[in-house]
Amino acid sequence: MASSMPRSLLSVSSLLCLFFALACAAPANLVLTKVDRKIDLSSQIVRSTTQIRVENKGSDPASELLLALNSAQAKSLSYLRVTTSEGKGKSKSQAIVLRVLPAEAQSPANVTFYSVQLPKSLNKGETVALDIYSAFTHLLTPYPVEIGQSDVQLVLFHDSAHFLSPYPVKVQATAMKVPSFRVESFTKVEPSKISDGEIRYGPYENVPALSYMPITAHFENNEPFAVVKELEREIEISHWGNIYITEKYHLTHAGARHKGGFSRFDYQSKPSASGASSFRHLLARLPPRAHSVYYRDEIGNISTSHLRSDLRKTELELEPRYPLFGGWQVTFTIGYGIPLQDFVFKAEDGRRFLNITFGSPFVNVVVDNLVVKVVLPEGSTEASATLPFAAEEALRTKYTYLDTVGRPVVELTKKNVVPEHNVHFQVHYRFSSVAMLAEPLLLVVGFFAFFGACIAYTHFDFSISKSSSSYQARQQREEVLDAVQRIQKVMNERAATSDKLEASLRDLARTGNVATCKAARKEADAKLKDTNKDLKAILDSLPASSRSTVLAKVDTLMQKEREKQEKLQQKHTVTVEAYEKKLSSKEIDSRVAPYQQKLTALKQEVAELFHLLDD
Amino acid sequence: MASAVIPIGSPVSESFYPILAVFLLTVGLVSTASFFIYEVTTSKFNRSLGREIATGGLASLFLGFGSLFLLLWTGVYV
Repeated sequence: MASSMPRSLLSVSSLLCLFFALACAAPANLVLTKVDRKIDLSSQIVRSTTQIRVENKGSDPASELLLALNSAQAKSLSYLRVTTSEGKGKSKSQAIVLRVLPAEAQSPANVTFYSVQLPKSLNKGETVALDIYSAFTHLLTPYPVEIGQSDVQLVLFHDSAHFLSPYPVKVQATAMKVPSFRVESFTKVEPSKISDGEIRYGPYENVPALSYMPITAHFENNEPFAVVKELEREIEISHWGNIYITEKYHLTHAGARHKGGFSRFDYQSKPSASGASSFRHLLARLPPRAHSVYYRDEIGNISTSHLRSDLRKTELELEPRYPLFGGWQVTFTIGYGIPLQDFVFKAEDGRRFLNITFGSPFVNVVVDNLVVKVVLPEGSTEASATLPFAAEEALRTKYTYLDTVGRPVVELTKKNVVPEHNVHFQVHYRFSSVAMLAEPLLLVVGFFAFFGACIAYTHFDFSISKSSSSYQARQQREEVLDAVQRIQKVMNERAATSDKLEASLRDLARTGNVATCKAARKEADAKLKDTNKDLKAILDSLPASSRSTVLAKVDTLMQKEREKQEKLQQKHTVTVEAYEKKLSSKEIDSRVAPYQQKLTALKQEVAELFHLLDD
Repeated sequence: MASAVIPIGSPVSESFYPILAVFLLTVGLVSTASFFIYEVTTSKFNRSLGREIATGGLASLFLGFGSLFLLLWTGVYV
């Protein structure tokens, strides 16, 4: 059944195989006694788990082990992790992650070596068991390249039946898990068979080093090939209690390209037979307590999304504006806020650090180019990122709300990101809480500048012509206003004095203490005399030109007021005298009554005039 | 992670943002009003610069912090 793939590829591969065999020179006398390889092809990401057992047959101790990948795999390698479990038996609790470096050892063409640093050097006759976990993106190629709406998606996968290794392998077996039972073809390398959705190769025994036996599997894979070409995650920290995350997506369907027209009717009436490889939903697992979630694009809000949240997680399920078929693209933005105290901590050395996941929150997507920007609060210093894997790091500055010197931004760029990269990373920085006051103080200064401008405007004279009649009229009006205000002030004082006098009379009626009442009278008289003088001074200070307008009003007011004060004084005298003569209260009342009447009438008049003056 | 790691939160509890915004802005607007009343009712000759600056300063202090908490309350975390 291998006829469906191009023949030429096979011949080229076998040539390569020969070339490897000639070029190889095992760097050390290591032998892989057992290789058990499982390749998961059930999604767009190829995940391979290989368990190997290494034995040192040579006499020199070995401290590194070389892993080999062919050039296509090396190019699309996204994630590689080698672990070893210390303890014997089944307990794998103490899995140690080993360091993997690009190998310095010379490798044959089309093969890339990776050097695994063994935890302790392997002496003669010793063995070590390693688990190699790797993930590859864009390794499954759709074939046919273009499909119609009702077709299923078939993909090709190329690999070697033999585990590619610079060391000879004693026993090895490979199992490839395919997502459906429909397998168009696979290269047969005896013994090989297919059963229960698994293509099995091997066991093969005593395979020489760098043996390459090209195989191809052609099978159905309708899993969503959701690839984010460009993802920009911006994590903005505010020490006022929030972290805001904005993610800009440029999403594509990287599967077989869509051919022909698109029928919405077919798509919706026969969901099982139409658009099998397309997808319309995406699921994002957001952190718990995420809030203010939005989902929009250039047009505006996209309403087809659902948010479910419980104590442990928040799930955002969103639908793009249209289902995505092969080759189709969509851009959108999601954003959400998360509480500060869940992700930012203070370390022992006084530095603060953010601890948050690196990759996209979407399930099962590949990100070709991921840019993570951590925007630290203004005034942070010594920013540095700690990642469990390599990524480009750059330091930038960003200006947003209420910024003066800009916020430091730690920008991390990584290509080929798979969900395995969705682990926590840290950004350490120094920040003093006092710097938080910069923003409110900026606002305060802003408002004060406004008030300052108002003060300046009212204090300075902005008129150009100082001699125009309107200017002079205004000037005069100001002066009159000023005088009137001063008169009002004095009048108020006088009113307060007379109030005091009346209060003393009431006290007299209650206590009969004539002495204090007289004292109050004396005080009031002195005060009235003083204020009389003040009033005269104010009136004199008024320029002659403006006198006529105000003078009439002020004069009447002053006359009435004086009259009122006099009446009050008379009333006071009469009452005090009456008390001194110890007259009955009735008699006092009858004596005081006429003064009282006049006084009330005058009070009314004065009050009216006073209001008139305001106008 | 080490045990001495302390989560960092806002210096003011977020549940106080609405009340703080309303209170500070009210005080701020009232003092703004008193500032402008003073500006238009007093004449040029007996206006005291000290009082103007004091009222304006008080108003801007309250308005500044009030608008900060208003921003925070409405979700603009500065």
